[in-house]
Amino acid sequence: MTSIIKKFGKINSFVLFLCFLLLVLELIGHRHGETDIEDLMFFPAFFGFLSCIIIFKIGVSLRSFLMKDEDYYDR
Amino acid sequence: MIDNFPPGFVMVLGALLIPFLPHIIKQIYMMILILISAYGLTLGFGIHSVINIMEFEFILFQADNLTFPFAIIFHIAAALNVIYGAHEKDWKQHVAIMSYSGAAIAAIHAGDLLTLFVWWEATAFTSVFLILAGNTNRSYKAAIRYILIQVTSGMFLLAGAIILLVNDGSAILTKFDINSLYGQLIFIAFGIKAAFPLLNGWLQDAYPESTAIGTVALSTFTTKLSIFCFAKCFAGVEILIFIGALMTFYPIFFAVIENDLRRVLTYSLNNQLGFMIVAIGIGSELAINGAVAHAFAHILYKGLLFMGMGAVLYRVGTCKASELGGLFKYMPITAVCTIIGAISISAFPLFSGFVAKSLIMSALGKEGLVFIYFMLLFASAGVLHHSGIKIPFFAFFAHESKIKTKEAPINMIIAMVIASILCIAIGIFPSVFYQILPYEISYQPYDFSHVVGQLQLLMFAALAFICLWHFKIYPPELNSTVLNSDWIYRRMIPLFIIPCINFSKKITNEIKIFFYLVLLRIKIFFANYMIKNKVFDREVGQDTLIIIQVFAIFLIFLFFLHYTSFTR
Repeated sequence: MTSIIKKFGKINSFVLFLCFLLLVLELIGHRHGETDIEDLMFFPAFFGFLSCIIIFKIGVSLRSFLMKDEDYYDR
Repeated sequence: MIDNFPPGFVMVLGALLIPFLPHIIKQIYMMILILISAYGLTLGFGIHSVINIMEFEFILFQADNLTFPFAIIFHIAAALNVIYGAHEKDWKQHVAIMSYSGAAIAAIHAGDLLTLFVWWEATAFTSVFLILAGNTNRSYKAAIRYILIQVTSGMFLLAGAIILLVNDGSAILTKFDINSLYGQLIFIAFGIKAAFPLLNGWLQDAYPESTAIGTVALSTFTTKLSIFCFAKCFAGVEILIFIGALMTFYPIFFAVIENDLRRVLTYSLNNQLGFMIVAIGIGSELAINGAVAHAFAHILYKGLLFMGMGAVLYRVGTCKASELGGLFKYMPITAVCTIIGAISISAFPLFSGFVAKSLIMSALGKEGLVFIYFMLLFASAGVLHHSGIKIPFFAFFAHESKIKTKEAPINMIIAMVIASILCIAIGIFPSVFYQILPYEISYQPYDFSHVVGQLQLLMFAALAFICLWHFKIYPPELNSTVLNSDWIYRRMIPLFIIPCINFSKKITNEIKIFFYLVLLRIKIFFANYMIKNKVFDREVGQDTLIIIQVFAIFLIFLFFLHYTSFTR
């Protein structure tokens, strides 16, 4: 346990612990969503994780043609 | 007498006295103005003031269940702005903020389109001074572009109002038909101020160029006034659902790569407006409540985030992620308040964003709009990424910068703490908050499914960010300009127009030279001809002159004779 905290830092380990706790909570109680797909096991967790990765990936790929020098408009 | 003035009017008028007051008295005076203006909210619903000019009835003061929540939050925001800007000695900004908030408050109480138009333009002309107050060459240019676009929006509104007036004989603010010409004109006018896709350039262009306190005021009023107008005039218009979904979606990617943290917040503002527009597009009572609740909560947490970044800007002089970092140990209170704002906007349970956004998501679920629902869910993860994590992380943590500074001024802290408390209070006591919404609802945001589902979404999105950062996949922030839709009129159109202008200049020049040469030839020809025939060689004696004069008199006599006979 202490090795994990040392490796990832306090806040990161706390987030990791909360994620684990949320997955356990889903197993204990019955969670349902606004739509049928959401009722699948751990759906919000997967959706959140994947969304964040996709946003990051698209954002990084957009860098090449949307990002210009700081004085782009001043020239 | 005060009952006859719309709320906010006293703030616009009273702002004129601000330059003549000493520093602290100025702040007290502004608070009193806001209190007097807020008195108008106690008068109840209905039409309170109408004036008749040129056989047209201007409904100056009309209150209903929709104006009420907006009026409350606009007054709270105005008061918070006064506290937040109390250290500022520049009276021009105070005059602009006071008259701007007053104009926005008066605008939501307008009962007809022409009155709305007057306040619509007033918000534009008062707010532009806040951008000018940035006092840089960039802010000056941004202010010019801003006012041009805002006035264009006003012109669309006026055109729509006049067509409606000619057709129907009245221009009362009510639900409009989107299929009519006037409806479409008014729709575009509102759409420009709500920063619709491709019409949003002014928002990200102008707001971050303002001062620390100016941006806080700007983030509150203009866009939310437009949201109010949409809720009033276009509730249930289907196309708004798609426009709104697009608005929640695409600013995320821009926010992720933007370096200026206040500009990141403007993208996030754009994304939040999308949630409200989707809700207005659905148009059910639950959805309209969601839109209003979201606007209410949004003004508080977005104001709080702008306040936090404003405090950083005030102390450090920059808001660029690439230059900031590690400020937590110098500005702990500002950091905590900003984190509360970030948690609220990410819609964590027990914070204001959650109780407001849940209404919209439930309304979407009830309507069965699954695709839009998932777009908004995706956008929610995006909000956490760029506003929830990026803003506090890059300003107060991330890498150690060499900046040494101190905590924000006490008045800024007070304003931030009040806003933070309100964000938490709304999250903890949603039933009290729901009472001010336009329609009565019995909605419970805190059930097991909602809370666990939302927490899973957010915590795992946060985990993804942590993984990206921990394994050094996240690229460093760079000093840069991110191209946005304002590129169309700042670069693309000039790219076509400047060669056209140069070409027409060249053509004009060629034509000029051509005619000059032709005329020169004619001149030379006649000169040669006359010299050849010795026209100028003849001596003109006195007798010749007398003959010419007599002939001239004879001609004049003939002319008069002809003229008089003609008139007879």
